[in-house]
Amino acid sequence: MGLNGTRVLRASSDAGTVALPRTGVWEREAARAGIITTTLENLVQWGRYSSLWPTQFGLACCAIEMMATASSRYDLSRFGAEVFRSSPRQADVMIVAGRVSQKMGPVLRQIYDQMPEPKWVISMGACASSGGMFNNYAIIQGVDKVVPVDVYLPGCPPRPEGLIDAVIKLQKKIAGERPASLRG
Amino acid sequence: MGLSPDAARPVSGTRAANLLTRELPDSVARRSVAESEEITWVQRESLVQAATLLRDHPDAAYTMPVFVTAVDWPDREPEEPRYDVVYELRSLQHNDTCRLIVQVPDDDPRVPSLESVWAGMDWHERECYDLLGIVFEGHHDLRRILLPLDWEGHPLRKDYVSFGEPIAFTHNLEWALPEAERPRDLPGETR
Amino acid sequence: MTTLPPLQQPPEHLDAHEERSGLDNVDIVQLDDSTMELNMGPQHPSTHGVLRLLLELDGEVVKVCRPDIGYLHTGFEKDYERHNYQQCIPYTDRMDYLSPPFNNLGFALAAERLLGIEVPPRAQALRVILCELTRVASHLLWYGTTALDLGATTPFLYAWRDRERILDINELISGVRMHTSFIRVGGMVADVPDEFYSLVADVVETFPRRIDEHELLLTKNPIFRERTIGLGVISAEDAMAYGASGPVLRGSGVPYDLRKAKPYSGYEQYEFDVPIGGNGDIYDRYLVRMQEMRESLQIVKQALDTLPGGPVNTSDRRVAMPPRNEINTSMESLIHHFKLVTEGFRPPPGQVYQAVESPRGELGFYLVSDGSNRPYRCKVRAPSFSNLSSLPHMVKGELIADVVAVIGSIDIILGDVDR
Repeated sequence: MGLNGTRVLRASSDAGTVALPRTGVWEREAARAGIITTTLENLVQWGRYSSLWPTQFGLACCAIEMMATASSRYDLSRFGAEVFRSSPRQADVMIVAGRVSQKMGPVLRQIYDQMPEPKWVISMGACASSGGMFNNYAIIQGVDKVVPVDVYLPGCPPRPEGLIDAVIKLQKKIAGERPASLRG
Repeated sequence: MGLSPDAARPVSGTRAANLLTRELPDSVARRSVAESEEITWVQRESLVQAATLLRDHPDAAYTMPVFVTAVDWPDREPEEPRYDVVYELRSLQHNDTCRLIVQVPDDDPRVPSLESVWAGMDWHERECYDLLGIVFEGHHDLRRILLPLDWEGHPLRKDYVSFGEPIAFTHNLEWALPEAERPRDLPGETR
Repeated sequence: MTTLPPLQQPPEHLDAHEERSGLDNVDIVQLDDSTMELNMGPQHPSTHGVLRLLLELDGEVVKVCRPDIGYLHTGFEKDYERHNYQQCIPYTDRMDYLSPPFNNLGFALAAERLLGIEVPPRAQALRVILCELTRVASHLLWYGTTALDLGATTPFLYAWRDRERILDINELISGVRMHTSFIRVGGMVADVPDEFYSLVADVVETFPRRIDEHELLLTKNPIFRERTIGLGVISAEDAMAYGASGPVLRGSGVPYDLRKAKPYSGYEQYEFDVPIGGNGDIYDRYLVRMQEMRESLQIVKQALDTLPGGPVNTSDRRVAMPPRNEINTSMESLIHHFKLVTEGFRPPPGQVYQAVESPRGELGFYLVSDGSNRPYRCKVRAPSFSNLSSLPHMVKGELIADVVAVIGSIDIILGDVDR
């Protein structure tokens, strides 16, 4: 559990029954691929997580905290999120900041589809993660009903430090992934 | 803590009520005063005339529309009509706010539109139609404004049940949460 | 090589608007072939939220502008009917999310009028301090984001740095930076800690010079003046007819401010001016807001200097919790406390409309009670809703780049518009 309780679910896949050394899928593949490819993969992933450019998807109050995270005191561009791209075609990560209403759901999906791979989603705030305090007809109860989410960030609104922690956790997650293009 | 604030506060809306009672006595169904506010209950048929008078007469000069909404009293039928369509107007010149209420029944929730009198009534009437189903006749474009255009139902009516999703506690997991989402012991490490 | 056929009318199927975007929930009416429809979509850097504008353009000139709102509709008014009065207060925070205390204040004042109670003078003064500091914070945010829309990136960082100091004060008293919910029905949540006075005095002392710095960046800047003077003009009559209020109305020369016209929460004790503009253009609205920040700091200074002692909650037992020592000794107090916490208080049946002057304009709550512990109907009169309805009038005939400037100058909050 990190700051503000951000959490990323990670379950290691495990064959289990046979007496093999306990390695995960990625470690086995990396051992097969060799040292050079592994370093190359690490380099690619380092490049990806070190300059995560978010797309501007601020909806409600969390957007204000997202802007506060990007401004003078809590500077998000220290962590690579230098610019918030207005066009989703130039962005890597979508920080869904705010409550998603029923009318906005298709728009959210469209913006997500317009982002090129690889892309990640941070669901910022209680309303984006689960519908928040609005358990009613108008709000989609969690954006994971519309887009796949990588990091959930609770809070109403989460503090800027919380958003920074979510970005760092996402960076750790990306460091653990393997780029699709280099896998066999 | 001492004197109730309403005793000291002047009653707002009396100016409009007096003007309507004087000039258009048929339009006023009744008047009532509560919490330092005087409410004029207006007949549906003479609403546009009354509104135009309130806007143009120099004694009143209610030039600013504040809001239009409706209150749903489903238990009042059949003695009284179901909806109270509430108009609030403000006169900046005389620093006064007045409230007009038009009562419409459930089987005929139509009110003449005041869009021609104040331009700001346009969006307020659309919102009232969207959320409560009051039809404003004469509006140039009565569409839903806040909800998607193909939404069914009017959410602020009392018979509309607003429900997002059931909240899962430990005692109602069987019906509140689908099988795949219930907490279970996962092998390996979860953090 | 085939010869091309002579130029002819485009085929039938391309004339009709079959090709629609994914957001085909609005019928696009085509006026004539010479105009282009541009969708300034809900996801846009300059719309200050999820506002969708359908612009009919003739080249770069806007012929018709049709706002499409509702992308942030949250169903607040339905939620108010499901919760008791004190539970509604945190919901009110999230409507106009840039100035939460004003929402709290409007709702609390309306409920207090229904109950017929008055809060002690210390609570009134603290409410004024909190609200006016939030007005400064909201205007600073507006200043930063509007300048950013017009291309100036420096004011954004300066303004937000200063806004953080006000959020620090929020955090000191309530623990939360933004949605404090500190103003409740019957008074405040708790009394303020001792560091509050020095922090607020610090803000009052240093901010006027900071605001001068901010003005230095923009007010005499020729680029800013080119983009704002004479654009987005709305006359006083039109502003009134649309129901516009706040700086939009005052920028057009109408000297109407609810703090002066219908004072609430002790505003009549403080001396302050209400700035008004002359032409009703964007520049005037900008000047009005900058001056309003200074006036707000004056009010905070006066309120802080004359802050009375005493309780911060009403002693009316219908609303206030019994004191702790009484709960330990008296059974009736215990039950009373239990009832207040679980059910809440029950105002007598009635209806009331209470408006406050928020940074955007007249924020009003029309509260109808049927005698139960929940509001029967709570209609929120949002200032941004009416101000935004004047947008099509303001941008008709302007260039498309000016649409961005005009939207910025109206200072809308989509949480208010859509509720």
